[in-house]
Amino acid sequence: MNSDVRHRRSAAARSVAAYLLLLAGAVCTVAPLVLGAFTAVKTPGQFATESPLALPDPTTWNNFRAAFDQGFGRAVLVTALMTAFITAGQLITSIAAAYAFGCTEFRGRDLLFWIYLATMMVPPIVTLIPLYLMFADLGWLNTFWALVLPFVFGSPYAIFLLRQYFRGIPRELIGAARLDGANTLDVIVHVVVPMSRPILATLAVITVVTQWNSFLWPLVAGSGRWQVLTVATADLQTRYKEQWTLVMAATTLAIVPLLVLFVVFQRQVLRSIAWTGLK
Amino acid sequence: MTSWVLLAPSLFGIGVFLILPIVLVGWLSLHSWNLLGPMEFVGLRNWRSVLSDGAFGRSLVVTGALTLLVVPLQTVLGFAVAALLVRRRAGGAFRVLFALPWMCAPVAVGVIWRWLFAPTDGALNALLGRRIEWLADPALALPSVAAVSIWSDVGYVALFFVAGLRAIPPEIHEAGALDGATGWRRIRWLTLPLLRPTLFFVLVTGTITAFQTFDTVYALTKGGPGDRTNVVAMQIFSEAFDAARPGRAAVMAIVVCVIMLAITVLQHRYFRTRTSYEF
Repeated sequence: MNSDVRHRRSAAARSVAAYLLLLAGAVCTVAPLVLGAFTAVKTPGQFATESPLALPDPTTWNNFRAAFDQGFGRAVLVTALMTAFITAGQLITSIAAAYAFGCTEFRGRDLLFWIYLATMMVPPIVTLIPLYLMFADLGWLNTFWALVLPFVFGSPYAIFLLRQYFRGIPRELIGAARLDGANTLDVIVHVVVPMSRPILATLAVITVVTQWNSFLWPLVAGSGRWQVLTVATADLQTRYKEQWTLVMAATTLAIVPLLVLFVVFQRQVLRSIAWTGLK
Repeated sequence: MTSWVLLAPSLFGIGVFLILPIVLVGWLSLHSWNLLGPMEFVGLRNWRSVLSDGAFGRSLVVTGALTLLVVPLQTVLGFAVAALLVRRRAGGAFRVLFALPWMCAPVAVGVIWRWLFAPTDGALNALLGRRIEWLADPALALPSVAAVSIWSDVGYVALFFVAGLRAIPPEIHEAGALDGATGWRRIRWLTLPLLRPTLFFVLVTGTITAFQTFDTVYALTKGGPGDRTNVVAMQIFSEAFDAARPGRAAVMAIVVCVIMLAITVLQHRYFRTRTSYEF
């Protein structure tokens, strides 16, 4: 009896300690983002005279207005358009390819799939220079197409992830649909896609996050009118070195849309992290 | 027949925007060119000059050092966070908080931390009441960059470990407790062997990501002070676009590709021989 109480007490103490540690971790995780957002709504005057840790007083939206004057409105639109275009394109083409690899038979299938997989091992910095030269040669640099073309025709990673999932769909279902007179497109649209909603949502989340945050390719392929948010943010920082209130407004603009998405699609996002770890 | 129709878009995309650039990068490495004038075939001259180039070697050392700082620390911290999180009632809310940095563009994160690290008006020095040159001090710059990477990744790594820990049946721990295994011994001889697949994934992807670090460095230091944080991706980028020597940059890119393949194969081997898990 006595040992039971002691046991329960030590378990409670351990639980409190665990929560305190977690809380400390959460503060370290969130504080940089919150401090950045606070600075974004401070007046330059307050920032110059008070501690960087002081709460914003008065709050102002002028930094955001200044960022928009620097072309950030357009950068937000370009980024959103690029992200939407690439995500839609990648999903459609990857579904098609994954269906071919996972649910049909043809000569050379496994060899071709292996080649697709092998391209995943090549780091982006390797293909960056030739890609740049190809687009420069065509005169397509600094256009919308330069931003989206290299990614819109499907990604080996998405195809790999979808193929694994599609292979788990019972063949009898596809066969039954076939018997009812469905063609391949019908099977994909009415059988495969509805059965794969979770993995498709996951993949959409990963693609949106990756594309919204992508930097290296847009940095070389899209300047001027076709500058995306990440590039515009880095650019603003170099041009307005110590104007941290303006620069933090820019980073806040780059980060907040995805955080809103995260809050809305929490479950899909957390699952997408767990699933990408599955193999 | 239909298989090939389904594959057509991805065949085009992967062929033109992944495989063609890979072939081109090899071809480029044999040519001398300044991005404007005529291209000249120079055989292995670029290879000889890059492989005997001290700056390139140093950038590999910097990248290796960064990887060795980031990967072990983020893995240990991620595991610790996961061990605290798993099977706790409020774990869900914490998971959401810890996943936040994963959603943020690495460039924006780099810019925010550049402010946090700023010597006079930065938040970190205000908090500590000191005046530390986090990014300008040659001894501190690389650890500071590593700290930002770790900050971004810990929550992400922790989520993988949470998924891995959840997959371990509780009976195994109970059996271990009956056998008198406690604390560290239980982690070392029960949990870690069962987490080997997760550990493998976290270490491999962590290494690959750390070795390719670019965005964070671009926003934080641009490789400085001197070349103290000049990671290899940064070196390739400036060789191609600032120094306008794409031939030499192509050689560096190929070397990086080979190193990363070698690391992946080695890690794979190591885990293969020490586990019966089918990966």
